Amino acid sequence: MPRLELLSEVQRRMLQMFPCMEHDDIPWTPMRKPLSESRLALITSAGLHVKNDKPFVMGGDSSYRVIPQSTNTADILQSHASIGFDHTGIYRDINVTYPVDRLQELVDRGVIGSLGENNYSFMGALRDTSEVVERTGPEVARRLVDEGVEVAFLTPT
Amino acid sequence: MCSHAVSVLARCFEEAGISTTGVVFVKEHAERVKPPRMLWVPFAFGNALGAADNPDLQHRILGAALELLERRQGPALEEFPDYTAPQALLQASSAERSGDVDSLDPADELTSLRPYYERWVEKHKGRTQVGLCGVPQRRFRGVVRFLQSYTAGDQQDYTDRPEEVKLPQYIRYCVDDLKAFYYEARLEQRPDSADHQVHEWFWGETAMGRMIVSLAARMEESEDAETKAIPYGLAR
Repeated sequence: MPRLELLSEVQRRMLQMFPCMEHDDIPWTPMRKPLSESRLALITSAGLHVKNDKPFVMGGDSSYRVIPQSTNTADILQSHASIGFDHTGIYRDINVTYPVDRLQELVDRGVIGSLGENNYSFMGALRDTSEVVERTGPEVARRLVDEGVEVAFLTPT
Repeated sequence: MCSHAVSVLARCFEEAGISTTGVVFVKEHAERVKPPRMLWVPFAFGNALGAADNPDLQHRILGAALELLERRQGPALEEFPDYTAPQALLQASSAERSGDVDSLDPADELTSLRPYYERWVEKHKGRTQVGLCGVPQRRFRGVVRFLQSYTAGDQQDYTDRPEEVKLPQYIRYCVDDLKAFYYEARLEQRPDSADHQVHEWFWGETAMGRMIVSLAARMEESEDAETKAIPYGLAR
């Protein structure tokens, strides 16, 4: 983006007033080996889920969904509370938000070592992220570690 | 807000020993949260990887974000250099409505678009964003009839609603499905449409767009807080 000065007044104000978490420190995990030998998982806040799984709900849903790497992209849906983004992109091509086909191509080219067993999805329209910070975020982090994931790639919508 | 959420998540993962990178839309949020590495992209919300059906651009963005993993220290909040000013997302209230949709029945309109929708799905190997309400698209006329009746103040629940999903939320899923059906049908019917043209068509020229605006107005009048929370996400 969304350069703020180019947005509508309503959207600009909403974003400027948004109650962000604020930090001074930066947690930093250096790469332990080259990307070409590392295992990567995709984490999105785009509110995606597998067709037969429970959709996200309005009103601060801090839960997450598991999207197995083997999922056919035809079986992925978006249930995101926000109306502030353009859905047309994902109707046309899921990779615009959830670039699984591109990541697989990078694995095939040897740029990325491998992909994790699962990807994970959150629904990012959250004014209060404390539940994510305290519970669901660390839970997904533990799952990623258990699955041998060394790099997480994050996408919003 | 999604940019805030991914920045918060990046910190969680990094603290657990996982290196992170990715994409954010709102630099001002990322600067405050301080995720260790993020690529700030200049695209419209909903287009994190730049543009649909543009694998080259998507790869350039992925590459630029993955490159940040080589940094020795952070924060690494870099800007993706290709800047094109995104067009403002057209909402229902700013669409220019054409007068002649009033006499159209949205259920008939939907039926007339079905061949396009089905061809779209077939061409995209089954990829579709229709499916949240659980009703097969071939039975969407029934969903339309229910929403019309609800708007008129008659039928106040839908027989196929799963028990665990509350009615207002269920209405949102129904509307999201109808929108996805229409948009995908339109992209098939008029393949050269730019995104904003599809919005102009949906909100300005279809009976379905008109029906959703009326439905939202009806929910807005409700005194029930859960019902009142929904219309903003249907049409605004």
